[in-house]
Amino acid sequence: MTAQPEASSPAPGDVSLGIGKLVVPSLIGGLVALTLGVYGRLHHPTGAVESIAGFTSAGYAKSWLATVATVFAIVQVISALVMYGKIPRVTAPSWIGTLHKWSGRTAFLVAVPVAVDCLYGLGFQTYSTRVLIHSLLGCAFFGAFTIKMLILPKRGLPGWTLPLAGAVVFTVLVGIWFTSAFWFFSTFGLHR
Amino acid sequence: MKPNMPLVTLLSGVGLGVGVLVVSMLSPSSTASASGYGATSPASATTTATPPPAPATASASESATLPATASATAPATASATAVATAPATAPATAPGTVPGTVPTATASAQKADVPSKADYVAQVNGGGAAVAISVHSGKAVAYVCNGHAVAAWLKGTAAAGKLDLTGKNGARLDVSYRTGKATGSIMADGTKYTFSAPLVHRVSSGHRPPGLYEATGMVDGVPVKAGWVVLPGGGQVGSVEYDPSSAVAPTAQAPVLDLTTGTAQYDGITLVASLISGFTGSGF
Repeated sequence: MTAQPEASSPAPGDVSLGIGKLVVPSLIGGLVALTLGVYGRLHHPTGAVESIAGFTSAGYAKSWLATVATVFAIVQVISALVMYGKIPRVTAPSWIGTLHKWSGRTAFLVAVPVAVDCLYGLGFQTYSTRVLIHSLLGCAFFGAFTIKMLILPKRGLPGWTLPLAGAVVFTVLVGIWFTSAFWFFSTFGLHR
Repeated sequence: MKPNMPLVTLLSGVGLGVGVLVVSMLSPSSTASASGYGATSPASATTTATPPPAPATASASESATLPATASATAPATASATAVATAPATAPATAPGTVPGTVPTATASAQKADVPSKADYVAQVNGGGAAVAISVHSGKAVAYVCNGHAVAAWLKGTAAAGKLDLTGKNGARLDVSYRTGKATGSIMADGTKYTFSAPLVHRVSSGHRPPGLYEATGMVDGVPVKAGWVVLPGGGQVGSVEYDPSSAVAPTAQAPVLDLTTGTAQYDGITLVASLISGFTGSGF
């Protein structure tokens, strides 16, 4: 315990205090996920969001946006590994932090319209395993992302919290992609 | 103190989400139903007057001889001795009497302009959905879907150029059909789709002809029912209903219907589509 990384903990002894800082963000994040799920379940899905432009374009637009978000999320993981020095023989360049921040922001902002369309047009559905998993993960993603954003500026957290939060967010997003865009592309092809 | 950038990111996302939601709520389905209700359907004026139920015994005599130019006399007079004055242009009367009680009378309307067997397909006005109507000897099927969350099957009877069909969740229509086309509107999932659908001309070129296709299957133990409207230009619009017998069946985009094989791949299963055609009677 003597060789703490200098960045994180001004009070190395008091781990419980650090974990205590997770409570409120976790509650807020949980509330976000729950709210999305309840809205998606109660709101009568319209399907109308995409009935204007064409029959199928919206599915492709959403799938490609989701793919873009996932690609940026992969950039997230790689840049995070570099920042934490987990990739051998790679020293973190000075711009890696900027890359990490902006790839994350981009991934998030690209994912938002997709999620709105899903929740507004389709809702929280359970009619197949894939759809159920997708609905659960979709709601969980924004909860998890909220938690990560809220704990990001906090100091004195245990060192594992941010990597864990990041890993959860990434895993959930990849799960979302596999249960939506990957399924969509493999069912309908890459374009029509 | 520097700004809390992660919070800014979060709030940007919230703002973007709300923005997209508002745009979605403002722009959507109203375009499909914006066009006037009565404007496209010449018969819509007559349907506002719902006919009194005619006596069931009235039907047998008034078959076959519907005069093409008969004026819209009151349905009550038609019921008794109405060989001469059967209301060919008052379509509401015929469907009103039909359900279950009038077997052959109005079925074979020999009014020159009204086919007894026909198929119609078209995109709805404003795009965004497609409709198919098949009429076969007094029975009829209509299907409207938007290639997404809307799919409605309506079934019932057809007589004297007028359809009397109903579907789940209050789906209903107001359609009149002639030799050349079927016009009117279908109300499904809270949206009114108006259209003018031309008659389908069968051109077989090795492909499946335009028209209405249906397929059923099981996905994850749940029955699914797919419907496609294949348009004359080769385009198609299809939706899949999960658990179609349930009150509000979740509905999604249908996979591409392969018009050479008549099949579609969906969630690991092969859907085999069959043509519903009033012209040939298949599916009836």
